[in-house]
Amino acid sequence: MMKGKNRQVKDVIVKTAADFFTPIALVLGFYIILHGHLSPGGGFQGGVLVASAVVLIYLGYGYNEVSKKFNMEIIKKNEALGAILFTVFGLAGIIYGSVFFANVFTNIGDVGDLISAGTIMFMNNSVGYKVLTGVGFLILLMIGLLAPDNDN
Amino acid sequence: MKRFAIAFSLVVFLLMGCYAMYYSSTLDRTYSGTKLSEVLKNEQNYDMNKPDGVANIIVRENLKRTKSVNAVTAVVFDYRGYDTLGESFILLTAIAGSVVILKSHKKGSDHDEGQE
Repeated sequence: MMKGKNRQVKDVIVKTAADFFTPIALVLGFYIILHGHLSPGGGFQGGVLVASAVVLIYLGYGYNEVSKKFNMEIIKKNEALGAILFTVFGLAGIIYGSVFFANVFTNIGDVGDLISAGTIMFMNNSVGYKVLTGVGFLILLMIGLLAPDNDN
Repeated sequence: MKRFAIAFSLVVFLLMGCYAMYYSSTLDRTYSGTKLSEVLKNEQNYDMNKPDGVANIIVRENLKRTKSVNAVTAVVFDYRGYDTLGESFILLTAIAGSVVILKSHKKGSDHDEGQE
């Protein structure tokens, strides 16, 4: 078993590490989502990176802080919104006279810009939004099982 | 009546899916109206002597058709869109299932504790 002082020191170390790594995870994840059509990576990978911020906050600050900061109902609805957006951008191929999931609006922007590549960019961003909310919700759900059930 | 409507609509969807699979298996493999066999026939247009000859083909065709620099994202979201659709809806289904199971699990444990 740990002594009191050792536990305090470990708390400070883990909290400092969480403070340091959470902004890095968020910025890197959003960069990978937004540049999915230009550089390696994409919606899935960046979404999981962004969702890892939830784990870092849980490690640093415990379950009570996490359950205060994140509203699970809103996150669940946002994931469904991401899925609907992805399907709508897939259906845009049918509406503009091609097949399902075809790439339309390819004339926006130049090749290599941040806003280019037509519906691939929109679908990439909506999948990234869907994955970051979905994996974050799964992590919150599993953290909720680990929580001490003193509030009931 | 509601259950009959659900069963009827599911059977209709199943029959439509079977017919679509059969119909699409009789079509030629195309992308944007070009047959894939014609793309492969014109391979003398490409510089195959360079070390990255195959990569040249892939990158040039991909840039011409999708204007996406990252070829992998173009494959995932354009050529193989159905695959990504299923992949992302697996996540949605997994979350729905875990919500259902974990919520009933929590309720059951509370109920047991109350009985004891």
